[in-house]
Amino acid sequence: MKNKNKIWNAVKIPLLAILCSLVAAGVIIALTGSNPFRAYYALLQGSGLAPKAAYANYKSMLTDLFSYVNYFTPMIFAALAVAVALRAGLFNIGVSGQMLAAGFTATVLVGYSGLGAVAAKPLVILIGMVVGGLAGALVGFLKYRFNINEVVSTIMLNYIFQYVISFLINTYFVDPVSRQSVEVSAASRLTLMDTQAGNLKIDIPLGILVALAAVVLVWILFDKTKLGYELKAVGFSRSAARYAGIRVGRCMVLSMTISGMLAGLAGVTYYLGYMGSIQPKVLLNTGFDAIAVSLLGSNNPFGIIFSTMLISLISKGSTYMRSTAGVDTEIASVITGIILLFSACSAYIRHRLERRRSEKAQTAKEDR
Amino acid sequence: MNGILIDGLSFALPLFIMAIGGIYCEKSGVTMLAVEGLQGFGAFVGAFAAVLAAGGFSGSSQVPFYIAILCAAVGGGLFALLHALLCLRFQANQVISGVVVNIMAMALTAYLTKLLNRLLFGATSDKFVLTVSYRFTVPGLSRIPLLGAVFTNVYPFEVIIVAVAFVAWFVMYKTRFGMHLRACGDNPHAVDAAGRQVNRIRLAAIVICGALSGLGGICFAYSISANFSASIYVGYGYLAIAALIFGNWRILPTLGACLLFGFARSGGYKLVQVLQMPSSYQDLVMILPYVLTLLLLVFFSKQNGSPRALGEIYDKGAR
Repeated sequence: MKNKNKIWNAVKIPLLAILCSLVAAGVIIALTGSNPFRAYYALLQGSGLAPKAAYANYKSMLTDLFSYVNYFTPMIFAALAVAVALRAGLFNIGVSGQMLAAGFTATVLVGYSGLGAVAAKPLVILIGMVVGGLAGALVGFLKYRFNINEVVSTIMLNYIFQYVISFLINTYFVDPVSRQSVEVSAASRLTLMDTQAGNLKIDIPLGILVALAAVVLVWILFDKTKLGYELKAVGFSRSAARYAGIRVGRCMVLSMTISGMLAGLAGVTYYLGYMGSIQPKVLLNTGFDAIAVSLLGSNNPFGIIFSTMLISLISKGSTYMRSTAGVDTEIASVITGIILLFSACSAYIRHRLERRRSEKAQTAKEDR
Repeated sequence: MNGILIDGLSFALPLFIMAIGGIYCEKSGVTMLAVEGLQGFGAFVGAFAAVLAAGGFSGSSQVPFYIAILCAAVGGGLFALLHALLCLRFQANQVISGVVVNIMAMALTAYLTKLLNRLLFGATSDKFVLTVSYRFTVPGLSRIPLLGAVFTNVYPFEVIIVAVAFVAWFVMYKTRFGMHLRACGDNPHAVDAAGRQVNRIRLAAIVICGALSGLGGICFAYSISANFSASIYVGYGYLAIAALIFGNWRILPTLGACLLFGFARSGGYKLVQVLQMPSSYQDLVMILPYVLTLLLLVFFSKQNGSPRALGEIYDKGAR
């Protein structure tokens, strides 16, 4: 009973935030002359969570659902990456850059090699983790050794990765037709594209299995291990952690390394799973949205699964929403923004609620 | 050489004014990661005003340009109230609030640009088209060797920025308000003890930051892109934050950092041109400012002096 209460308390306020934002966005949609309920239903339809009126050949609700899972898998990793750093009091805005570095390295080393699927897929995941981890470790090292603010170094590294990789793609790996990097081999893709199953063609994302494993591992790290405890201690108060004999510098480097590894996984599941190629000169928004997703999930690995699904549902379904309900796709990011706005206030609302409850208890006592 | 100076300055100055905004906010003790969003929203309001006003003036009139600059500052300042609301009233984590403001700004401006274009102009467009601002050359002064470049092909907004930057410098270091503001970032309790309201000063700092960021944003819209669209969000706001941290939260060293960014950028472009390299090499030289920053930070970050109360929510009762 007590445990149930605890979960309800943790979930109550994010739910309230989501509800308030759906109402607020609904008002905006209604004001622009569309039916908000139809718009929201279209979001579900577009993500394969509700049936559409008609489907093309080889398509059904199931294909939509799988492509939705394929779409949000990188976001789970990215949000976990942000959460791991945040728990240790560090702010990783370099997730997008780390994703790009990992995705590009894996593309060049494995995606363009002739390796078979059995060797290629694990190798892609391994390279993603190593490259992302190195990029993260560099940031942690710069912070620890030279006192360079991680916000600045990650921003600088974002630009450096973006431009260098764009140069390399345009010079060596460009596909003259699509103007993107040459597509990677099917064997190295982490998503089995257009797999025939019965009378359907489905994109099967293998990355989601790794993502769920990562969620559990991050949970174990923070709730069950000494290292996780130390990381959290550093996050709460660096000086207190130092007095307690925790090696703060080591913790910072480690948390950035783990964060980078997760970002690297986000990179390979995006560039070698969802996409299959890299667009030069473009840094994904995923890394920045991940900050928001992680926040909405209160930096809890399981919370992140739900917040990822929600935020991705809104952006994935928005294309279908435009075609059926006539609402601009841009409203999707507005809804996301409002959700975040409300959830940023959640700590304050929780604080006020608790205070009111304790005041009530106080007066009840006095009445007796 | 002249080209490098001219282009470098026209990039560095808008960056500088945004960085000053960030300094105001952070010096008052409020972490400011929202410069990116604020400059974009300011540019959006400014560009919208310019498009609206353009009908009332002849094609070559410069009045819409000045209206745009004014409205951009007002728009940025108003949008910054969101950051103030979250940080001061709702005591949200200031880093998170900054991210939220950025995301909100990008989402709202993209949505509103489309909506306003459709409703008011009957067009399906996701941008407001502006002209590239005219430029002028100061006769006489421009003929001084090397230094003359500073007076050649000047955008009018550069003059405005220099003037505003000077006022901002004066207010920050020479007035009572500036002193209180800086004290809010280092020791808010002392400010409170002296009978000033910490949160009111911080509110002012946040709004100033928004206004200056908006000003910087519209200048980029008028010089680099010549329109307002989602392409305004290419990370100049983050670059401004990097500049101010690099400049150790002080206005003059930050100017140095911005000039470094500007000249490294224009110098890199020039290099590609002069050596007649293929245009893809431009991407490679574009990393110059960022690599330089990282390297310089390695040497100078040790005595990094961020405001002592930066990022802490002011709690009157705490000790």
